[in-house]
Order: sequence, then C-alpha cells, then structure tokens
Amino acid sequence: MIRISGLSFRYRGGSEEALKEIDLTVRRGDFLGIIGSSGAGKTTLLHAINGIVPHHFRGEFYGSVEVDGSDTVENRPEDLARKVGSVRQDFESQMVSSVVEDEILFGLENFSVPRDDIEHRIADALDKTGIANLRERNIATLSGGQKQKVAIAAIIALMPEILILDEPTGELDPKSSRQIFRLLKELNEKHGITVVVVEQKIMLLCEFADSLAVMDRGRIILEGPVREVLKSSREMESAGVNCPRVVTLADRLREERLYDGPAPVSISEAEAMVRSITG
Amino acid sequence: MILFDNVSYSAGGTKIIKGVSFEIRRGDFTALIGANGAGKSTLARLCNGLLKPTSGTVRTGGFDTASAKTSRIAKFTGFLFQDPDRQICKNSVRDEIRFSLECVMEDRDEIEMRCERAIREFSFDGEREPFTMSRGERQRLVLASVLAAEPELLILDEPTTGLDYRECMYIMDCISAINRKGATVLMISHDMEIVQDFAKDAMVLNDGMLLAHGRTKEIIRDRELLARASLLPPQITDLALVLGEGYESVVTVGDMVSAVKERSGSKR
Amino acid sequence: MIGGFLDYSPGDSFLHRLNPLAKIFLSLMLCVSCFVTDSLYFCLFMILLDLAMAAWAGISGRAMAMLEALVKLSALLFLIQVFFIREGNVILLLPMDIRVTDKGALFSLLMALRLIGATMPLALMLSITRMNDLSNVLVGTLGIPYKYAFSLTTAIRFIPVFTAAMAGIIEAQTARGVSFDTRNIFTKIGLIFPLCVPLLVTSVRKIEGAAISAELRGFNLRKRESGYKNYPIRAADIGVFLFAVTVAVLGVIVP
Repeated sequence: MIRISGLSFRYRGGSEEALKEIDLTVRRGDFLGIIGSSGAGKTTLLHAINGIVPHHFRGEFYGSVEVDGSDTVENRPEDLARKVGSVRQDFESQMVSSVVEDEILFGLENFSVPRDDIEHRIADALDKTGIANLRERNIATLSGGQKQKVAIAAIIALMPEILILDEPTGELDPKSSRQIFRLLKELNEKHGITVVVVEQKIMLLCEFADSLAVMDRGRIILEGPVREVLKSSREMESAGVNCPRVVTLADRLREERLYDGPAPVSISEAEAMVRSITG
Repeated sequence: MILFDNVSYSAGGTKIIKGVSFEIRRGDFTALIGANGAGKSTLARLCNGLLKPTSGTVRTGGFDTASAKTSRIAKFTGFLFQDPDRQICKNSVRDEIRFSLECVMEDRDEIEMRCERAIREFSFDGEREPFTMSRGERQRLVLASVLAAEPELLILDEPTTGLDYRECMYIMDCISAINRKGATVLMISHDMEIVQDFAKDAMVLNDGMLLAHGRTKEIIRDRELLARASLLPPQITDLALVLGEGYESVVTVGDMVSAVKERSGSKR
Repeated sequence: MIGGFLDYSPGDSFLHRLNPLAKIFLSLMLCVSCFVTDSLYFCLFMILLDLAMAAWAGISGRAMAMLEALVKLSALLFLIQVFFIREGNVILLLPMDIRVTDKGALFSLLMALRLIGATMPLALMLSITRMNDLSNVLVGTLGIPYKYAFSLTTAIRFIPVFTAAMAGIIEAQTARGVSFDTRNIFTKIGLIFPLCVPLLVTSVRKIEGAAISAELRGFNLRKRESGYKNYPIRAADIGVFLFAVTVAVLGVIVP
C-alpha cells in the first residue's frame, strides 16, 4: 500500500536531513504506530506520504515514496488525497466551517462527488465515526474529543484507503484519547482502512496498533510487530521513548530469570505473566 | 499556602467550580487530576487570582485573591501553562528570562545574576531566538524563566502535554528539585504515571466538585474513585489491584519484581 | 468562552431560513440607511428594529451584549467629537475654554447612533448565517472566485480563534506579574503592544496549518460549480429585498 525506499529529505535551508534513508512498507489493512522523540522526523515522514513533502515544503528529496503504485513526487497532494486521508493534531486550524455537516461537505464538494452520492456519504461518515447526533451542531460548542472525531469524519467521507494521523490525541484527556483509538481500530478492522498514526502515548499504540516504528534523529531504528519491537526496550529508551511499565516489568523478570515469554501489552497479559511465575 | 473555603466560580451562567474547600500546605507537591472539562484549569487560575471566586474565599500565601492584585501574588507564584507560546514574547532567551525577573523584582544586579545563572543551569544559548527552538525547548525556557524568580508556589497546567518522554522527564526533574528546596507545587496532569512518581498528594476533581484529596498512593488504588473522574490507575498499580492479595504495597516496577520473586520462591 | 460575537448561532427562525443573499442585502441596506440619514429618530428606530429582529431570530442575549459594547465605544466617540465642534449655541462651558454646543452635541449623538446602527445589522447577519452558505452564495450567485470567498470566511472564522489566543497571552503575562490590572489606559496599551509578537507567531503557525489542511482536502480542485447546496430565491426573500430597499429610501427621505 505504501512503499518508501531510500528516502532522505532535507528542508530548504535546513542544516541537517530531517529524514535519513528511510525504508518502510505498509501493507493494506495494517495499523502502524510511529513513535519517537520530538524532532525525530515523524511529522516529516507523514508529510512525505501525503505529498506535502516535497510539494508544499520544498527541499532536497532522495529516494521514492509510492502510495498504491503512485509516486508522490509525480502526483500533487490533492490527487494523492483521494487515497490518503490526513488528520492533524491542531483541530482548530483544520476546520473550515462553523457547522459539523458543512465541515464534512467541504471535501466532498472539492472532489466533485456526484450530487446524488453526497447525502449518503455524509450520513455514512457520521455513522462510522459515531457522531450522527452531532450533525447540526456548531463546532465551537463541541469538546476536544468530539472535534477530533468531526475532523476524522470529514476525511472518512472522502473514502480514503489510507488514514494518516499526526498526534490525534495530543490535546485530549485519557478517556477521549482511548475513544479516538477505539474508533481508529474499528475503521481499520471493520472497514479495511489502513491506518498510520504518529502518537506519543505508547500505551495506546501497544493496545491498538499491529506494528510499531520507532524513529530517532531522522531514521527508523526499530520496526515490526508491536511485541517484537517491545523486546528492544533499551533501544527504545535510548531513542527517548518510554516503554509501558508492564514491558519494563517483563524485562526485569527476564533478567531475574523468572520469565522467558513475550512482552505483555495489556494488564490482563501482565496478570497472566505474573500468575505463570507465581503459580 | 493555598486555602479554599467553599469556593464557587461561574462564567456565562455556567457553574464551573461548585463549593470546593481544601488546603495545600507549604512544601506540598499536589497533583490535580480529572477529565477534561472537570474544572482543573479554572481551579488553578483561581489559586493565583487570574480568576476571582464568585463566592467563597481563596487565600494564597496569606493574600485574599479577591482583593489582592494578581501582579502581587505573581511575586511569589510561578505559573506554567501548557502552551509555552503564550508566555514567550522576547527575541532572545536572555531577554525572555530577564523580562520574567523584571516583572517580580527590582534589584538590577540580582536580576542579571539570576538570569545568567538560569542560562547556565539550563545550558541555553542566551542569544538564541525562542521561536526557532522546538516545543520542548520552548517549554524549558518558560520553566527556566519561572524558576529563576525562585517562586514559593509553582502552579503547573499540564506542563508535559505535547512533549516527548525525554523532555517530559527533564521538566519533571526540575520541578521535583524546586519542590525539594521547599517550594509548594500544584500540578495538573493527565499522566497517572507522572502523578504517581512525583506528587505526594492528589486531588480528584469531577464536574467542578472535589471528590477526594489525600495521599497519591491511596488515591491511585481507589479504582472506583478514579473511574468516577474517567481515570485509570497507573499500570503497575492496576496490575497489583488485579493480582489482589499480597500485592497491596506494590507501587513501582521494583516492588512488583520483589513481590513476584518472593512468591515464586515460596512456590519452589 | 463558548460562542464569540461572530459565531454562528443555530436556529430555525424566518430570518435563519432566508436566502443568504437576502440576509446580506438586508443588513447592508440597514447599514447604509443609518449612514445616509440625518435623523436621530430614524437611527434610534433602526437600532430598535435590529433588536426586534434579533429577538425574532432568538439571539436577544447576544444582541444586547453587542449593543452594550457598541454603546461604550460610541460613548467614547461622542466625547471626542463633542469637544471639537465649536459652532452653535454653547450649552455647557467648562474651564480652559472647553465648550459643548447644541449643534456639536446633536451631531456627535448622531454619529454615535450611526455607528451603532450601522455595525449591528452586519454582526447580527453573521450570527445567523453559516459561513459556508455565505461563501457559497458569494461564489455561486455573485461569481466571486472561490479563493477570495474562502479567504473572507476563513478570516471571519479565525477572529474568535485569535481573540482566544490574545486572551490566553494576556493571561499568561498577568500570571508572570505584568500589571495588566492597571487603571492607566496608556500604561496598559504600552504593556499589550509587545504581545503582538507571540500573537503573530501563533497566527502564522495556525494559518499555515489551515492552508495545509485545506490543500489536503482538495481545496485546489474546487470549481465554481462544486457547491452542493442550492439557494433558491423564494417569495419571502423577494419580500425582504423590497423591505430593505424601502428602508434605505426612507433613510434618504426622512427629514
């Protein structure tokens, strides 16, 4: 679905490369989480997938990024947007309307969706994101979590095959953050949308993502299924990323030669781990 | 240091804080937790007089915030916001820190001395333009300028949101250090692990009402209480609660390892 | 916090349901009539009409708040003007040869009322019109290029965002000890001025973000005929057009 090979990028006027020799393949139906310290190049990598790099932010671009067979250098962001839907952290600035329904209509109008399809696309997007009851609401009166769902609905209405999100829970509390991830999981499992999400909250990624990529100073230093990546907790920590504490616990128990299984990613798995030791 | 007596606050006809009373003593490190919209930010702003109570009284450092000027309370109170860009308004790191000091003290030599010391301690380049720095660095700059004034009271509104783990730990270590030197800290946070690691006390706010105020280690074990404020216990505590008997005193990963070791030993 | 002056206030009143074009035309004509009239009573009548319409649309509370703000502003305008006009009969003589004349007082009062009468209909219209409807009729019916219409509506939409950002900045500066709670207006202006730097930085960042988002949602592909909604002109709209013209004509002929 997404194939990135040998990608390096330096922003115009930038002293250092923001991305260095990135190789990454995302298959159809994957749920990939990207984590890393600030300045590691996470946002730039997402921009390379939706074409904002190198079309909007220019610079030295080496290697190639292919989205469903189309090269991102040869296709404009608005054309790539038919396949790749992007959601940003700052929902205030990505909204264009005062009312939820109009916000969803905006993209549909731009892409000249046939008149007869529009009503059904709006209803469908609201339904999939579970906010059908907010359709007529003024966006300014919604909570942060609701606003972020509106932003996702507006993108879902365009029926993208890939959804990329840049810290979608950055300004949300734990409860709304989980709701957003539950929604992403549902879109991924039920509707087959490929999800690529940059997120700082490692616990959410462990619980909901299938695979994990850890970035450090422009490179992907670890990548693979979540449990595999969590085995390298030391490398993660040196990249400025914390591990869930149950993973640290598993590491410590391994050091004590009490445990030899895979890292747990949830409380119930951690419970099973401890019970397997204590009997 | 902070005393709330039956405080309510309303804005635009909505009651945001509903009859809250509590006391934070000098030297305490208290976390304020609760879901978004519970009124945490409003409560923090009532503490330093940015907002005045609709009814009840707030006394901070002995001053009644309803009558004292906010700039007077600011002389001994530092306030760190989630978004550093609201505070930064000068064109260099040095000017920014100096400006912060000028707001609260007059002695020129003292200001220069503290300004240079802060630049040194935080290893900043004094000439650097703040708006070319990363978000985490800007948050550090704001913290440095707040701490340079050596506040007796430090109020933090989600100081680590939007920062990565490394930046987060850096900021928390600074805050922890100033608390050990005697400053009182009130911190809003969503990160239960940070609350567990750093705050000795915790207050749980829900829908404008104070549900609990006590030792953090007790509050984070009260699953029902946390659920009422849409929160979950931190992971290791959660695990200890699930495991039940014999794990009551487990707080850290280390505690858990020892507990597991002990039990596996008894098994063999 | 919730709902600035210009935020859309949802509703289903007769005024809400009018064609956006009719709303724009009516508010412009009300505005113009206040400018052309020389009659104090006419101006007062127009303000009452604004309030009546606001009540009809269910936004009285907002209209009163708006009126209060405008009264303060125009009171300032009145004071400045009244001391500068020296023609006419003196009705109040203050020390240092400062005088208030009957002609000056009447003229200044008219200016103040004009300011209120001309501003209110525009602000009220924005309160009951969705931004999208506004830009759609500007593009679809009036043929204004979409980019301009979008810039206009985005600018209006960003006003509350910037107001909130400014309030946040002032709050942060107050918390660090800057004395915004001073009574001296000049000191206050002097303190606020340097804060334009953080406001500008925040704004540029937000606008850049908005531009990228719009680009990713196919903004550049949009054509004039892309608009989904139709805005038919109904009998009620024609009635409003006629009413608006009548008001404007009255503004000219009422002595």
